[in-house]
Amino acid sequence: MAIKQQSTLDTLREQGRQRLYPDVPRITVGMATCGQAAGAAEVYQALQEATQGTSIAVVPVGCRGYCQREPLVDVRIPGWPRLIYAQVTPDQARELAEAASNRQLVLDGALGREDNDKPLWGEEQILATDSVPEQIDTIPLLRDIDFYKHQVRIATRNCGIIDPASLPEYVARGGYQALAKVLEQMTPEEVIEEITASGLRGRGGGGFPTGRKWRSCREAKGEPHYVICNADEGDPGAYMDRSILEGDPHAVLEGMIIGAYAIGSPQGYIYVRAEYPLAVSTLREAINQARTAGLLGNDILGSGFAFDIDIVRGGGAFVCGESTALMASVEGRAGEPRSKYVHTVESGLWDKPTNLNNVETWANVPAIIAQGPDWFSSIGTEKSKGTKVFSAVGNVQNTGLVEVPMGMTLHELVYDVCGGVLDGRELKAIQTGGPSGGCIPAELLDLPIDYEHLTEAGSMMGSGGMIVMDDRTCMVELARYFTEFLVEESCGKCGPCREGLYQMLHILTDITQGRGKPEYIEQLEELGELLSWASLCALGGTAANPVLSTLRYFREEYEAHIYDKKCPAGVCQELISYRIDPEACTGCHLCARNCPQQAIVGDPKEPHQILTEKCIKCGICREVCKFDAVVVE
Amino acid sequence: MAYITINGQKVRARKEETVLQVARRLGIDIPALCYHPALEPYAACRLCLVEATLNGRTRVVASCAYPIRDGLVVETDTEQIHQLRRNLLKLYLAQAPNAEVIQQLAAEYGVTATPYPIRDPEENCILCGLCERVCQKVRGEAAISFAYRGINRQVTPPFEEDLDDCLGCGACAFVCPTGAITERYKAEAVTLDKWGAEIPMARCQVCGKPFAPASGIEHAAAELGIDSDELCICPHCRQLAHSQALSKLEAGRSTAR
Repeated sequence: MAIKQQSTLDTLREQGRQRLYPDVPRITVGMATCGQAAGAAEVYQALQEATQGTSIAVVPVGCRGYCQREPLVDVRIPGWPRLIYAQVTPDQARELAEAASNRQLVLDGALGREDNDKPLWGEEQILATDSVPEQIDTIPLLRDIDFYKHQVRIATRNCGIIDPASLPEYVARGGYQALAKVLEQMTPEEVIEEITASGLRGRGGGGFPTGRKWRSCREAKGEPHYVICNADEGDPGAYMDRSILEGDPHAVLEGMIIGAYAIGSPQGYIYVRAEYPLAVSTLREAINQARTAGLLGNDILGSGFAFDIDIVRGGGAFVCGESTALMASVEGRAGEPRSKYVHTVESGLWDKPTNLNNVETWANVPAIIAQGPDWFSSIGTEKSKGTKVFSAVGNVQNTGLVEVPMGMTLHELVYDVCGGVLDGRELKAIQTGGPSGGCIPAELLDLPIDYEHLTEAGSMMGSGGMIVMDDRTCMVELARYFTEFLVEESCGKCGPCREGLYQMLHILTDITQGRGKPEYIEQLEELGELLSWASLCALGGTAANPVLSTLRYFREEYEAHIYDKKCPAGVCQELISYRIDPEACTGCHLCARNCPQQAIVGDPKEPHQILTEKCIKCGICREVCKFDAVVVE
Repeated sequence: MAYITINGQKVRARKEETVLQVARRLGIDIPALCYHPALEPYAACRLCLVEATLNGRTRVVASCAYPIRDGLVVETDTEQIHQLRRNLLKLYLAQAPNAEVIQQLAAEYGVTATPYPIRDPEENCILCGLCERVCQKVRGEAAISFAYRGINRQVTPPFEEDLDDCLGCGACAFVCPTGAITERYKAEAVTLDKWGAEIPMARCQVCGKPFAPASGIEHAAAELGIDSDELCICPHCRQLAHSQALSKLEAGRSTAR
């Protein structure tokens, strides 16, 4: 195939470079959902007001991953390094704008600097060309700070750097080059071969080899073939896909267009949660731009290849992340799964061959085509290639989105990338894979992160949710929490999932409320086994993982609840009582002042006491005590 | 055509068949409550689970939906399968304790009681979905369907309003495996107790007796593209009219002879 419109991309690239590296200062604000939650909209408004009448460009960008430190603001003055500021307030933003208009560098409070812009592929741009003040060396390079040092950003390569609403900026960082290469130089078979050779596996959780899926779909009988992007990210605490869609929508579109070419599909759908309004509007804008530029439509880049993408918004059911339920929902039916003995690549949407991949998988595709399969497969482990994006949340210093090479150990991820456990507490367990994943105990911290090891440990890769838990987490309560989530999200079609989860929740609630019976552990195991073997879909099939993995690694905690009526982590209210250790108490009275029940008494500078009959076990005294004198038993 | 082995027995099967169909053809008993030969497989009750081995890989699959593939080896009564069915029946005993077919199956599999708390001792619906699927098939669009999800799932008319679109055909009651839906024909109406619905009977235009659900007649007339009056004659009167016409014809012929 020949591309008749190479000049389109050249023009866009030039426009993008002018936007990314203008002759005037450019200030960007992380305006993804995480940034906005931290007040980025106010910062953005302050910057716009402060720069009115100046030539300074104020540009919204996506999320750089360092969500903990949002709002993030980048300031780039032509000729000087780009400086990145964290947790910027509107006042600070005004100062930054003022300084930028006077072409002054503000070193105070800068998190890091960038001397050059080196996209994964494409042209490098040196930012620090003029002589810069010597003190600039006190600001570390952004890529050298702990949070970024160990990361390899492929799927999130443009997030937080480009304006997601700007097609030219995407193109200027090498965007749509892979598509042009595919249309001009490669047959569909060659594309599939490259993806297969790269070793890319599904990032939605299943880990199925992407190239093999594409091939099966291409070879399946029936027309038309469909491609789908699964953006129904529903795991509590997981937001990898949201960030990619909000920060770099064209990466997903380009991946899908390449996939459609390889599979032979004229129509694609992006199934995205309605709870992601910003992702939906960003995508819609990106699709319109791509259509206008001839990157979607009847004759893509003049090659004759026709493909278009529509957005379908999901109504918020967790089960619609399951491929057959998702397809039923796209068709306008209730989002319920069906048995997959005939695969969706053969009979999917409207019973036609359908290839479904998740957001992160699609975003990896252009990088593989542009850089080659050998480059991609040189990253990661023998069976798990490339990187994985995780959303690190919970009791960890640096929460945020991290993209790390497969095979990195959990220890490195938690301590080196994420800065360790909050408040110097002890790590107890890591929950991966969302509600259907499992808990990995601190003893297994040296486990490499890849599909096989996580599954062996009773958890799973899942889509990338990662919850770090300290020693104040009750594992029975945690299992109860996830089971409750799944009871609410079970569609109810098949008996094991509908009834089994309900009974599991009943048992777990009894245990955490002090009504545990000795036979409960065996019943939980029996139900867990039934769910794993007998459920209709993957939701039910993995729903017992939180219970089974905590039973496997923290059985003694269940036993303490059931036999001793104690919650060792001091969480389950019915099973704990608060006491003040007279040895440790200094009589500072802080706990008594904060107690909502006036349940703490004591003379100043004398050990205090908790009146058990008045105590409601809210735990505030324990939180505020500076001497660890409040003991939970 | 394909050759498969079920419980050690090698048989020929058509590729369009499912494992359950072939097994039943051979007289092998596999419990299946959400299956009906007239409807598409649904694979929801999970009682029909069997062990299926293909290309050296053994899986537990729902036989009602599992397609025939050459070389497939199926075991329907292994200890694991029975254990899964027993555990499943314990759940169904807690969910629908009043369903006779569940009590019978439980007894058959040696489950005497459920260890789990019972939500509603009167409940007998196991949410197999046969009623809503047969309704959709007969009616074109369903008069009843599932609403809510998880343990709140139930079969109901749209928006839990009155059962307005019911044809009174009784197919739902006919396919219900647990007796949760019963249909009673009374002089003036068909009643479906589950939804508290009464579907009025149409009266025969000849004898004036109520004989069939009025909504069913209207639906049939619309499907056939004829006036509903043409169908408003009860079978008895229709028979009478036919025989009268025939005897007239006969009388005419004898006169001619």
